[in-house]
Amino acid sequence: MKTKARDIMDSNFKTVNSEDPLSYALEIFKDSKSEGRTIFGIMVTDRHGSLQGMISMYDILLFVLPKHVKIWGNISDIEIGGVIDQSVGKLNNLLVGDIMTPKVISITPDTHLMMILDIMIKKHVRRLPVVSNEQVVGIVYISDLFNYLIERV
Amino acid sequence: MSMGKDTLTGLKVHHAMRRQLITLQPDDTIDCCIQYLTKYKINALLIGRSGELPAGVVSKTDIMSAWYSGLPLSTQIEMIMNAPPLFCDQDDTLDSALNTMKTNNIYRLYALNSESSLACGVIAYPDIVGLLYHYCSRCSQGLFNKSRQDSEEKIKRYKVLEFMTKNVESCKEEDSLESVIETLAASRFGAVLIADDKHYPKGVISRTDIILCWRHGLDLATSAREIMSEPVALCHQEAPLESAIKSMILKDLHRLFVVPKKNHPVSGIVSLTDAARLRSGSCHACISSRIRVDEN
Repeated sequence: MKTKARDIMDSNFKTVNSEDPLSYALEIFKDSKSEGRTIFGIMVTDRHGSLQGMISMYDILLFVLPKHVKIWGNISDIEIGGVIDQSVGKLNNLLVGDIMTPKVISITPDTHLMMILDIMIKKHVRRLPVVSNEQVVGIVYISDLFNYLIERV
Repeated sequence: MSMGKDTLTGLKVHHAMRRQLITLQPDDTIDCCIQYLTKYKINALLIGRSGELPAGVVSKTDIMSAWYSGLPLSTQIEMIMNAPPLFCDQDDTLDSALNTMKTNNIYRLYALNSESSLACGVIAYPDIVGLLYHYCSRCSQGLFNKSRQDSEEKIKRYKVLEFMTKNVESCKEEDSLESVIETLAASRFGAVLIADDKHYPKGVISRTDIILCWRHGLDLATSAREIMSEPVALCHQEAPLESAIKSMILKDLHRLFVVPKKNHPVSGIVSLTDAARLRSGSCHACISSRIRVDEN
């Protein structure tokens, strides 16, 4: 019976460096879709493989979101195409480390599944990096945890 | 001049403030601070311990000055923060908050929850502009109100020319970032124009660009040309102020450079802060009944 993170973690993961251009991370997001498994977050490591943070779709969308968007509802003639292009264009000057989430919760290969479930629910996270000896060794997705649990129903 | 009630009368700080507050620990580094300022697209953040009243504020200007002074990115932000932050109560009137900001020559105020005595929001000039724009857009005589029936001639609208700052300082493309920082530090605007000898616009460098350059490992000797953003966001000096405000809100910009005509040199700069200091809507239609114009 699977009981630990090591049993359900995905060891086939991609990472980016915090000093990589953000465009590189965007390519990975795009490629994942064509590779059959859309990923929503990529682990960020330093050059030694130590976990530095996570860059997620949410981080990128948060940056794209205009500051005063709540006023937009009052503007009837927005030329939305140009506005979106302008917002998205700002991503070109960024490095991954500029907008990643730096303080992420990680688990070890021996973390119990119920503990993982507890963290995911209480902290509202959908993926948890698995770290061993300061090296990223895998990632646990909430979907994998969910699928494993419902198979037992 | 005071003419009775203004558009903001009766409104409280909590009506306009943003509730998302970013707070870092005093021992976090400048590098970390730049990252949060970039990620959340804010100009300053609070410094303090969880559950306590924040002890200080660090702005992009403070970080820019730290780079200019030769401090390393690993410096703890406690070393460069301004303390204490200035607070108002979330139930204070917007008018009194504006007065506090003006008196203290600051661009943002943090709001306290009077019951918990904890920081619960932040208010800056652009937030107030947003609120004013909200009223303008619903006004029967608003420029962008499609149901507006009145003829254009009846309404004297504020023009960009009336609120722009003339004699805009600029840098040359070949100037160093060190020189750009000196110009920015002497300016109340968040960006400096990069222009040629005849003041034709070439690019813009903002405080955000500067602090990101530091984080990206660039040198203070780097030329402005290498990092400036282009094209420059421009507006016409005869354009209605409401149109300029709309443009800034939609483009997520804090200022527009002003030209007298297309393909002319830059003649001024207009910012959301200028628009907020007006404390009004954007046309003279309001003046007779409810606008107080702050002449500073």
